[in-house]
Amino acid sequence: MALLFSPPIFIPKISLSLLSKNRFSLLSATRANSSDTGITSPATATNVDVNEPPASTPVVKKEEVEEMKTTENFTKFEDARWVNGTWDLKQFGKDGKTDWDDVIVSEAKRRKWLEVNPETTSNDEPVVFDTSIIPWWAWMKRYHLPEAELLNGRAAMIGFFMAYFVDSLTGVGLVDQMGNFFCKTLLFVAVAGVLFIRKNEDVDKLKKLFDETTLYDKQWQAAWKDGEEDSSSSLGSKK
Amino acid sequence: MATFALKSFTGLRQSSPDQINFVSHVPSSLSRSQRRTSLKVTASRASPKLANRSLRVAVIGGGPAGGAAAETLAQGGIETILIERKMDNCKPCGGAIPLCMVGEFNLPLDIIDRRVTKMKMISPSNIAVDIGRTLKEHEYIGMVRREVLDQYLRERAEKSGATVINGLFLKMDLPEEWDSPYVLHYTEYDGKTGATGQKKTMEVDAVIGADGANSRVAKSIGAGDYDYAIAFQERIRIPDDKMTYYEDLAEMYVGDDVSPDFYGWVFPKCDHVAVGTGTVTHKGDIKKFQLATRNRAKDKILGGKIIRVEAHPIPEHPRPRRLSKRVALVGDAAGYVTKCSGEGIYFAAKSGRMCAEAIVEGSQNGKKMIDESDLRKYLEKWDKTYLPTYRVLDVLQKVFYRSNPAREAFVEMCGDEYVQKMTFDSYLYKRVAPGSPLEDLKLAVNTIGSVFRANALRREIEKLNV
Repeated sequence: MALLFSPPIFIPKISLSLLSKNRFSLLSATRANSSDTGITSPATATNVDVNEPPASTPVVKKEEVEEMKTTENFTKFEDARWVNGTWDLKQFGKDGKTDWDDVIVSEAKRRKWLEVNPETTSNDEPVVFDTSIIPWWAWMKRYHLPEAELLNGRAAMIGFFMAYFVDSLTGVGLVDQMGNFFCKTLLFVAVAGVLFIRKNEDVDKLKKLFDETTLYDKQWQAAWKDGEEDSSSSLGSKK
Repeated sequence: MATFALKSFTGLRQSSPDQINFVSHVPSSLSRSQRRTSLKVTASRASPKLANRSLRVAVIGGGPAGGAAAETLAQGGIETILIERKMDNCKPCGGAIPLCMVGEFNLPLDIIDRRVTKMKMISPSNIAVDIGRTLKEHEYIGMVRREVLDQYLRERAEKSGATVINGLFLKMDLPEEWDSPYVLHYTEYDGKTGATGQKKTMEVDAVIGADGANSRVAKSIGAGDYDYAIAFQERIRIPDDKMTYYEDLAEMYVGDDVSPDFYGWVFPKCDHVAVGTGTVTHKGDIKKFQLATRNRAKDKILGGKIIRVEAHPIPEHPRPRRLSKRVALVGDAAGYVTKCSGEGIYFAAKSGRMCAEAIVEGSQNGKKMIDESDLRKYLEKWDKTYLPTYRVLDVLQKVFYRSNPAREAFVEMCGDEYVQKMTFDSYLYKRVAPGSPLEDLKLAVNTIGSVFRANALRREIEKLNV
């Protein structure tokens, strides 16, 4: 239980050690990564024998019996701390406590590796890692807090300058602004804007999202519209 | 008062019916006609009794939808003709039917090749989650061979009194008058293999289009198009020791490598497995996705031989117009395939049955002519019963299939027992069960947690890329 309450005092230490650890783990990872795509090294870990050169199977219309073609031999993901399909938390110890940041980074590396080199699942070595074993505060500290700081900073800057402009234009002070309905609406819009529009692309993304949510319903309700309009083209989703 | 008004109206028409039936559903039809353009006055026509014959309905297509529709029509006393172009058609299909279908359609248990009671969901990073712990003893997902199921339903329809014709529907002449028949043009194959068949025509009062994703009936009535996915499947015969693993287990693989908007699967069939994948947006890369699916299952299907390769379009949403006058679409022709799971057999059969029931009721067991309002009842009933299911699955697909982190979260969520129970309840019995609010809240929190974690890891991955 004490592990869960690692005090934030350690933050600076962790970030420093993280940098050095990063270099180490990167090194070890690159060794595994070195046999990249294209080099079919007969790794001992994989037990696949490829019969024929991997080619795209021609479309067979009639019943033909052929050997199943498989992809090239990629090396599997290997890491000293990845044991039996999960991360061995004991190896992530740091000052007697688990270094959750390192676990997160290692899992990210594993997923990145798999995205580039998809692997076969195997009944002998099933992957049973569950990200929920990483405590919630580790996630908060690493992802939520920095972003929250950023957004709060933006909101504060916008709020300060908007209050100043409104005051200079209308003479209404900050306290009186808060009592005004229009100003409260502006405040709401500003907060929502800061929350939802974090990058330039977000505006388009939100519009598309809204269309997406209503599209399926529209497609179903089309049968109830008796108009002669050419509804088929307008209801196809954008490719 | 209303009968008086009806009498005066019918006097204006040339052909007056033998008997003015005060049709009880006139009020609802009136409101329908009010909603439509004012020129159409369909409601005031009292549907005439058919003199010395019963209603003739043609069912085009002899799959689950057509078979179920033809059986219900024939049992309702309607003269039914079922037209199917290939009696032994071995459809490329997952072949999974929910438990409720066995009960509702009285399917004999020997039609089911396998009972799947376990499923494995495998995430993009190969995290595997076992599903099925919550299933009770008698619950399972039935795997059938389509040729066996379709043939059984057709035979049952024939026993109930339907005429089954081996023929290919070509086109349909729409009626000029409101009560003229539909003229169907089709090619009849009379059993001589290789023969091109005879061109024939047939007059019917109503048509049920159950001819699948590339429906010609839909084209004839201008039903419009839908987006469709391509499902690509290879049937692979694997060695017996590997087959025991798939004895009652099906697998679902998710990931960008397997499909950008769907999933790859390994489903056990009678003596082989079907390995396949599908996509809507990247149809050109389907072979690449199939290769990736095979790669992900490589260890478990090694040494297998491909015995058949097949592909088929799967509709993604209903057509804009699912009926027109006295023609209705059911099954894949209407586009009743769910999102997320791509399930279609049960909905095809159920919609065929529902449409046939509406026809039987509207025609009073074949004694009266029907009109569009009777068929609209089937649409109403269908939408009311199943739209929530479709909506929920659409939301699931939109949220959880959009990216690798979302899929990771999805697989993580599926490990939760409550999720499994709800999923299987709604799949096996086709109910969107309410569940308990506390558990729902926990589920919501867990979902947000999983999605947050998966997205956080994705951001970490992006940082590594830089």
